[in-house]
Amino acid sequence: MSAVSSLGVVVAIVLGTVAFALVSVRHMKMTPQEYIVGGRGFGAVFLWVLLAGEIYTSFTFLGAAGWTYGFGAPAFYIMAYGTVGYVLGYFLLPRLWKIGKERGLLTAPDFFTARYNSRNLATFASIVHIVAIVPYITLQLSALQTFLTIAGYGAIDARLGAVLAFLLTLAFIFATGLRGTAWSSIVKDALVLGALIFVGLAIPIHFFGSPAQMFDQLRAANAHLTLDGTFSAKGTVWFISTVLLTGIGFFMGPQSNAAVFSAKDGDVLRRNAVFLPVYQLIMLLVFFAGFSAFLVTPGLTGAAVDRSFLVLVAHYYPAWVLGFVCGAGALCALVPSTALLLSVASISAKNLAGDVFGVARDDQARVLLTRVMVVVVGLFALGLWLVYSRTLVTLLLVYYNAISQFAPAYFLGFFWPRVTTAGVATGLVAGIALALIFAVGNITPFGLNPGFLALCINALLTISISLLTSKSLALEQ
Amino acid sequence: MRTPIRILLAAVPIVALSIAIPFVNRDEPRIFGLPFLLAWIAWWVLITPVFVWSIGRVERRW
Repeated sequence: MSAVSSLGVVVAIVLGTVAFALVSVRHMKMTPQEYIVGGRGFGAVFLWVLLAGEIYTSFTFLGAAGWTYGFGAPAFYIMAYGTVGYVLGYFLLPRLWKIGKERGLLTAPDFFTARYNSRNLATFASIVHIVAIVPYITLQLSALQTFLTIAGYGAIDARLGAVLAFLLTLAFIFATGLRGTAWSSIVKDALVLGALIFVGLAIPIHFFGSPAQMFDQLRAANAHLTLDGTFSAKGTVWFISTVLLTGIGFFMGPQSNAAVFSAKDGDVLRRNAVFLPVYQLIMLLVFFAGFSAFLVTPGLTGAAVDRSFLVLVAHYYPAWVLGFVCGAGALCALVPSTALLLSVASISAKNLAGDVFGVARDDQARVLLTRVMVVVVGLFALGLWLVYSRTLVTLLLVYYNAISQFAPAYFLGFFWPRVTTAGVATGLVAGIALALIFAVGNITPFGLNPGFLALCINALLTISISLLTSKSLALEQ
Repeated sequence: MRTPIRILLAAVPIVALSIAIPFVNRDEPRIFGLPFLLAWIAWWVLITPVFVWSIGRVERRW
């Protein structure tokens, strides 16, 4: 009986969100600009909602709570890195928007064609983005399955439920494009805020009296409230290098590019860089939830750690509360998935099909092909997830490390006039290769994050090759 | 345009949240019961908007 009511709430939330977004999206003639980057017309508040909607995924919440439960203090990096990302974003995003507006860019790889005048570099970026993002979509499917399993108290086949919800999402984003992502983000952000205030404040107050008393109990239980050591695994050197890597790489995902291009003007992005760190404070509530679960339901290991706070809600609270939390969680998987799907679909339609193979180059054909690719990519991710759900986690571990390697191309591209195509190409290829090698081989000298090490080598290579090639060009002239 | 001030305003929160961490990696003094490390990070997340907003002021954008 309780499974029925909690799942009922989840279904109502998901269907209600889709209905709300479908009603709100203005029906207009779809052009690629309209479908992929929202007609470049989003104001500050709408963009804030969209960015918060796609940045804070189910992985942010389940992963952060799981890390808090499993490791303690190292999880705090998740609150720090986004803030570093926003400070850097103040300088980067308006410049990216400007070149996007002036040159009519639609996707992340388009930037490489525009700034470095290199089709090959754009094609390489397209392939890396697609390979990195598809596992990220499958991860959202796994999270969706987790939320549905818990909401059904283990009584239903959550895998089937996840497939159905994902198919509904595909149909939804097929129809609406980026505006659909933005409108559904309104519901998602509001519900997530409500759910987090509950799990992050009400739970500690209920079980321990206050968050402060929860920390006293954590001290008594010898929880890790500070970082262990300097060069050790997840010590302070790891913390610093991880905050810098993930902060620098914060806006490097192709879905962020689409959001940047959707802004009405550069100041909209600057205002968002000012105010988005405030949203980042909700991570504090996620830490509280993870710590509460650590005390109330100790001893979990493996994948159970990530859902520890959900298990706690399922045990001690009424079904509708669980349904509300899991419904908000399901939106955290579905809404970012729409942004991820759109970015991969637009890259395959514009940069691969259009630019490389010369098909679907007029507006109408391009919208149609992007829509078709949303379905193709979605079904591909779904199939991949159903077959390989376990092994994909390895690929995902390197997602952030690989995607962050694009940072020198963007930052140097805007702030250092001497950067050359050869420099960027060398640094990028070496950085991605090293990020994969270091991550797979678990190479972490001095406790450094392997992706950060790869990023440093990448930046050094980009700068030195640029200096060499720009000088030789100058000599030839 | 007044680049050193802008770089300084951006660098302060970034340094506080990264390179400064070994110096604040402590439980004491507790702030509202929170470990000092967590309180430090939360504090900088809270006041980073002031720094970024100030950059916009220096650039005369608002």
